[in-house]
Amino acid sequence: MRSESVMAWIRLIRLEFARVVRSGGVAAAVLLLLGLGVYAGWQGNRRIHAAQAAAAAAETAYRDQLAYLSSIYPPTTEAGELLYYLAFPAPQPPSRLSALASGRTRVETASLRIRLLALEGQLYEHETLNPRLAAAGHLDLAFILIALLPLFVIAVTYDIVSGERERGTWRMARLFARPRRLIAAKVAARVVLATGLVTSMALIGAFSTGIDADGRAGWAVALIALHTLFWFALCLGVAGGRRSSTANAMILVGVWVALTFLAPAVLSLTNSLLHPVPEALELTVRQRQGYHEAWDLPRAETMESFFEDYPQWSDWTVPEDEFTWAWYYAMNHRGDQAARDASRAYRDILTRRDEWARRWSRLVPPLATQIALDRLSAADLGTQLAYQESVRSYHERLKAHFQPLLFSAAPIAQVDWERVPTFEPAAPTGGASQAGLPAAATLILISICAVLPRLRPRPSRDS
Amino acid sequence: MGLRNTLLVARRQIGTMRDDRYVLFLLGLVVSLGVVSVLGARHHTASEAEQRARYQSLVERQWAEQPDRHPHRVIHYGFLVFREEAPLAFFDPGVGAYAGTSLFLEGHRQNAASFGDARHSTGMLRFGRLTPAAVLALLLPLFVVAAGFASVSGEREQGTLRLLLAQGATPGQIMGGKVLGVGAVALAAALPIGLVTAAFGTAGGDGQTSATRLLALAAGYAAYLAGWVLLTVWVSSRRSSSRAALAQLVVIWVALCVAAPRLGASLATTLHPIPSRAQFTAQVEEAQRGVGDSHNPDDPFFSALRDEYLARYEVATVEELPINWGGVVSREGETITSRIQEEHQQELLTAHRRQDRLMAWLGLLSPYLAARDLSMAAAGTGAEAVEAFRAQAEAHRYDIIQRLNDLHVHEIKYDNDRAQRIARQEWTRFPVFQPSPPSLRRALTDRPHSLAALGLWIVLPLAGLGLGRRRLPRVGVDSSGS
Repeated sequence: MRSESVMAWIRLIRLEFARVVRSGGVAAAVLLLLGLGVYAGWQGNRRIHAAQAAAAAAETAYRDQLAYLSSIYPPTTEAGELLYYLAFPAPQPPSRLSALASGRTRVETASLRIRLLALEGQLYEHETLNPRLAAAGHLDLAFILIALLPLFVIAVTYDIVSGERERGTWRMARLFARPRRLIAAKVAARVVLATGLVTSMALIGAFSTGIDADGRAGWAVALIALHTLFWFALCLGVAGGRRSSTANAMILVGVWVALTFLAPAVLSLTNSLLHPVPEALELTVRQRQGYHEAWDLPRAETMESFFEDYPQWSDWTVPEDEFTWAWYYAMNHRGDQAARDASRAYRDILTRRDEWARRWSRLVPPLATQIALDRLSAADLGTQLAYQESVRSYHERLKAHFQPLLFSAAPIAQVDWERVPTFEPAAPTGGASQAGLPAAATLILISICAVLPRLRPRPSRDS
Repeated sequence: MGLRNTLLVARRQIGTMRDDRYVLFLLGLVVSLGVVSVLGARHHTASEAEQRARYQSLVERQWAEQPDRHPHRVIHYGFLVFREEAPLAFFDPGVGAYAGTSLFLEGHRQNAASFGDARHSTGMLRFGRLTPAAVLALLLPLFVVAAGFASVSGEREQGTLRLLLAQGATPGQIMGGKVLGVGAVALAAALPIGLVTAAFGTAGGDGQTSATRLLALAAGYAAYLAGWVLLTVWVSSRRSSSRAALAQLVVIWVALCVAAPRLGASLATTLHPIPSRAQFTAQVEEAQRGVGDSHNPDDPFFSALRDEYLARYEVATVEELPINWGGVVSREGETITSRIQEEHQQELLTAHRRQDRLMAWLGLLSPYLAARDLSMAAAGTGAEAVEAFRAQAEAHRYDIIQRLNDLHVHEIKYDNDRAQRIARQEWTRFPVFQPSPPSLRRALTDRPHSLAALGLWIVLPLAGLGLGRRRLPRVGVDSSGS
């Protein structure tokens, strides 16, 4: 009896599945989505290669520049002079997962090169990207799965009940199974179809980019699956009712627009109004002024403020009437000191923006999914701030390394280039489950809310 | 008689939509979103503009208040410029968010701009921004679809289409009336947004320019939305069921407004790749290496230059020159590095323009792209405005740097060069940076593709309606269903 009912159940799903797949539009849509998925996977792979090339270019440029500078300056030249020109590479290798969810990677400069001079002026230059293309938006696998796949879900579910009713086949269908079971079978068949789509896209993505099946990738797939299930729950919640197919379609498309475009746009605008960023310009102006003023100040004064941060050198005095590289780099440090408060405020406000976005995005399933994916693939604002932080610490390590040479006015010959510190890329912010869990919980909760009206027993009066 | 029938049908259509709670709800939603977006974006751009103006005047004051300084010191002190957005940026921010806002102008190098809005944004931005332009270009078409998908097919489903035809209305009159009716509702949605925009757009700033630009915007969006109204009625007239019409229209909307721009941008990046900032910088460094390195005493270019100067002034050593040789080296070096950097910059811009051209051609397929393109042009926030700023800032940079080098050549003695200073009064004689944005005419004539696309966007559904006129009574009757 029990196994018989399971068999009947499976037969029902198979029947329904065949019906869905055979309708012309659905097959075309599946092919289109798969085609887009393949394209996006390939595209993501290219993007990763481009980012790796940029990182390699930064390294190569450093070595070329070092070789050139070493060739034109005699080894007796003070190291400070060569270091004035030399830009050290700080390449951040792209996260593999960002091939699928590229997040903000396009607007960020990931492979900076920094000189030993004041740092604040070197962190924020724009990428070479074409602003017009950037304004048009970009296509990655995440966008297809988060924004376009729900439309497919809507298209196959909006008339599961109303369609039969309008065609007059509902009564007949009810002869074979109880209505709720029938609806469940219909939804199950479509979930199987969508799961197949998501799985093939995930496989396409994994194979085209060589992503490791680690915790982050696992969470990404889980979130996409939950997000798709959320849309099924929502569609079931709406389409399981007694409205006409047309009304269902209008409502569902309306909800899709509201969740995928309106809510993010409204939240984004609110976020920027709540957290303005005047500090960006402030820190620029202050750094420039802080450094250049020093030229017209007594050198001891500049050195005093330098010693505040590097007390280990406070025994040294620099001559007032003679140029020294120790003083020159101390002036540069003064620029960073002048910008320090503004720079910290700038980072604080961006961190607040990031946190605000994460908090409020939980109300909007597509946004929660997107922001969690950005985090998993290390393509969010927090990761960018972490990158800037590791560039800062690299700059500090470089300074610590070269200060003895600068203070002793050592010649280039004394620099051991092999021992120069190298950049340590920023680790992704937060663990995988820390990024994935809140979004997953949100998706499950909202899905249950969406489908709740259909789970309540009610008088079956299906006409 | 003909016009009366058309107007009757239009009134009937308006009546249907007025009774539809869903359409009314959407109308309210679109209008309030539009108005909220105007207010929000206006507030945002106003505070941004205020900041940039404040810092710009601070930087100008700091420049003028410099103490006595050696001109080469000032070359490194440089100048900061902040990109001012066009007055109508609150309506359509265009590409502004993706371009930097502050640019440091100094000697020896062309810096890239820093701090664009997009870099201060979270991952939410990728779904789009709430701006009046986005409401008009993205959401209003969907509203038109929602209001009009059943315009003809609904009549057909209820059997009233045959009644209308029997009462003597021709198919042309019916479709004309439907277009007018749906168009009226679209106008009802667009007008409040337009009026609020106009109220803010003409207030303050150069009223004359803004008025012309506002008119251009109004014309562009009117044409764009008219195309959507025509398309909606056309599709509705070709489908036997409203449900099929709705499905088809939603698919068209997603394809044109959501998929096409992103796919287009992606294709353009793939077909015309550009170097990353790291690669670009490396290329510039490589090109500069060896070509007239002013810091290299043995550089062949500067050796030759020195011999030329010595011969011209008939002296044996640079110390004997009546002018400062150090300044000459700096001036010539600037000429060379600027040229090399500008060449690379132009190469990059050429690649950008190739990408833009691909997008322009795609605009023929996606009126959304064309409408947004024209909207940016009319608002003065297109890529050409960003490039004009960059080019003018570079010209300004070159000008002040070479003025400073001239001071170095003529006012500073070669002997004990570094210890000398130029008196502070000199700094106030320097020109102030006054960018002039590209004209509306230029911006529009540079976009023939988009103008053509918008024309096509009206002509095609209009032709479809005209040709499909005769078939109207037969749809869903002699075919075997949807």
